[in-house]
Amino acid sequence: MSGKISTEGLGMPVEIAAIDGELRKLWEADEASTNASLMNFLVYTEDPHELTANSKMIQKLTREHACRAVLIAMDRKAPKPSVAAWITAHCHLAHGKKSICSEQISFLLSGYSFGRFRNTVFAHLNSDLPLVFWWQGEISDLFEERLYSILDRFIFDSSTWSNPTEGFAKIMEAREQTNDHMVTQDLSWTRSYHYRLAIAGLFDDPAAERSFFEIEEVNIVAQKSQRTSALLLLAWVTEQAGWKTGLELGLTAETNPENGESFLFESKEGRNIVAKITWDDDGAPLSLLSIKSPDCEVKVSRQEGTSHLCQAICTAGHCLNVSGPADADDPEGLVADQLSRGGKNSLFLRMLPRFLKLL
Amino acid sequence: MRQNRCSGIANGTKEWQVRGVSNPFREDLVSRNLPEACTVVIFGATGDLTHRKLIPALYNQAADGELPAGVKIIGFARRNWTDEFFREGLEKLNREVSRTGHDEEVWASLASNIEYHQSEFQDDDGYRRLAERLDAIDQERGGKGNRLFYVASAPEYFDDILLHLKRAGLSDEREGCWSRVIVEKPFGTTLATAQHLNEVVNGTFEEKDTYRIDHYLGKETAQNIMVLRFANAIFEPMWNKQFIDHVQITCAEHLGMEGGRGGYYDQAGALRDMVQNHLLQLLSLVAMEPPTDLSADGVRDEKVKVIRSLRQWDTPELVAENVTRGQYTSGNINGKEVPGYCEEDRVDPESETEAFVAVRCMIDTWRWSGVPFYVRVGKRLPKKATEISIHFKETPSVLFNAAPGGVPDGNVLVIRIQPDEGISFRINSKLPGTTLRMEPVKMDFHYSSSFGKSSPEAYERLLLDAMAGDATLFARRDEVEEAWRFVDNIENAWHESDNPPLMAEFPAGSWGPKEADEMLKSEGRKWRRL
Repeated sequence: MSGKISTEGLGMPVEIAAIDGELRKLWEADEASTNASLMNFLVYTEDPHELTANSKMIQKLTREHACRAVLIAMDRKAPKPSVAAWITAHCHLAHGKKSICSEQISFLLSGYSFGRFRNTVFAHLNSDLPLVFWWQGEISDLFEERLYSILDRFIFDSSTWSNPTEGFAKIMEAREQTNDHMVTQDLSWTRSYHYRLAIAGLFDDPAAERSFFEIEEVNIVAQKSQRTSALLLLAWVTEQAGWKTGLELGLTAETNPENGESFLFESKEGRNIVAKITWDDDGAPLSLLSIKSPDCEVKVSRQEGTSHLCQAICTAGHCLNVSGPADADDPEGLVADQLSRGGKNSLFLRMLPRFLKLL
Repeated sequence: MRQNRCSGIANGTKEWQVRGVSNPFREDLVSRNLPEACTVVIFGATGDLTHRKLIPALYNQAADGELPAGVKIIGFARRNWTDEFFREGLEKLNREVSRTGHDEEVWASLASNIEYHQSEFQDDDGYRRLAERLDAIDQERGGKGNRLFYVASAPEYFDDILLHLKRAGLSDEREGCWSRVIVEKPFGTTLATAQHLNEVVNGTFEEKDTYRIDHYLGKETAQNIMVLRFANAIFEPMWNKQFIDHVQITCAEHLGMEGGRGGYYDQAGALRDMVQNHLLQLLSLVAMEPPTDLSADGVRDEKVKVIRSLRQWDTPELVAENVTRGQYTSGNINGKEVPGYCEEDRVDPESETEAFVAVRCMIDTWRWSGVPFYVRVGKRLPKKATEISIHFKETPSVLFNAAPGGVPDGNVLVIRIQPDEGISFRINSKLPGTTLRMEPVKMDFHYSSSFGKSSPEAYERLLLDAMAGDATLFARRDEVEEAWRFVDNIENAWHESDNPPLMAEFPAGSWGPKEADEMLKSEGRKWRRL
């Protein structure tokens, strides 16, 4: 890894063996603050330059999610193996009164060593609290059974993977090995949460209800980097609607990968439905989901830079428009939302087989 | 033919229902009953409740993306206001009090669906115009629509509003659509008036469409009582007379009769204002048996059994023994001199209304036989706090009775409702050192420390529930009437008997009259120090 790695904002450098003692001192020195923790929140990256950015992200995240944060960055290419550690606390005033603090331990592991990585994780967890692990970037060979068997939640962002098929294969294997104990959360799925809520709400309207059985076209517009987000959203629409994929039926659609992708589906009534994903790198990460039937268009859209979704049901001569919240753009916002919702993420798991087919 | 907005098709049945399916996009998305689009008509729309609670609640639902598309809000009140003036006032307050802040875009979207309807509450023509207005809204949107009437006016108008709604045909059953009513407290002032109001309400709306609001039930910690009891294996086996010595429910208020509230309060008193509704609801959640399911009636069936099992204090002697009432005299709170109750604004100087009440409640069930539930509520107490404390029995004093200082008091589990919502548990621990000394220590969970995100306001949750047809957190007719039966007996002893129990006094800023302390002291107990 080239370039000097910044340690700004990571706090006080400490010896590995002295971390617990130094953390105790940190709290003893400040009686006005409350150390709160709901979980062990571990953020792992193989880009050591992300360490300081992750510390800033934890500063924001702990406003809503008190935790013991453990940041680990591994510089796999460093020639000499070494470990450096820092401790700090992120404090926030709760309701303008009490100072609520979350402690953070940061590690920079230089040189590749699986054992060192795993033991660093094992040794610095608060007992009994759940372990939430956010893996940033590609899933590497360090993601193996002895690690994932202790995880309660595993967060990743498939839109950052160069080979999503391979990445999901590792995730599926981990779930199998842990008897589905580990809850998996893909930020690419979280990115479409409010789109899905909006569509569900709009289809409560009688006009949309009627149109459901006549749907002919689904359009999704997304940034090209959000291919997995767009495919997950499409997988959700089509799986919930109970449509068969054209792939199962031997139907194929013309696709120009530069502009987007097309898919064919068949409804329960035997109608053909065309689904198109179009890339637009100037728009929001997900900028449109439109579901069209001859007499009605149900549409959720988002302008780049806005924090709201425009929702509309348009029938001949009449549109019902409302606005609702949009999903966060930044990863920490998505993680915060995901942590707030909790749960087993069973809907995501149900979508996965179809998504993997579309992938 | 115009299409029916609720039904989606002309014969009045939902398209999904016709096909034997439900909205597939809803499946597995949200684990709660889903609110449906409707027009919300708020009676008493110029009042504080609408401005400070209801509209901010609807705004926050919109900001969180929970408010269904197509919700329209009509404020119904007597003042001669315009739509614009009404919206401006609402916006001003929303900026001050909204939990999620004030976003111009969200507000603009919500405000475009807010209208004002001027009418007297007894004016037939006003309701006829309201009906026309609602029909026009529905027509604009393609047919019939759901309607939610929120009666938030002064209680003396409840009857008029309900009767006029019926007369105008606004409560009529319409195929494929619902019309529901939310009724604010106070729901009656006695058993007889509550029964009368229930007759009027149920003469207008069916019980399944009636939502008697008790905002305490919408509070996060109140909802957490069931989770605490039934989702944690360690508590329920101990939640009975074998392990619990007694329970205390306290609702303390440091304010007095500021802001003109003396006018209402002096008519009601602490027992009617707080115990009949909020505190008995909390008591029933703490004491109820596990419900067979989480349906509205599943939960309410169990709650009403608790209230029905309350031992009745139906003679002046029993009331004197088990209930203490009091008024505060002048005193000092937070360094400020405050007047006595009878010197307060809009309070009768000769008032016989209690500003403090403490009740020993006995629940005659197998689970709670012999376990007192002490309930106290009062104005001008040292601080604002509502909490439930479960006091466990002490351990047999055979092991540590020789220890210096003996064994401290037993374990206490505290459920804090407001402020600083959370749960704490007191256990005894050995002090470090070579001698065996014990001190109580506290394990504490604060919602605000652990979950930085603010909880939805009670009204947000309750409004959504009413739109979703989920009455679990609303009081049912029999609950209300059973609670009034219990309260009426006490009120009768105070106001109708020849030898009424005395009105105790306490200085403002103290924890109530010494008679309330004596009630517990005589049984070897004391009020928890908050």
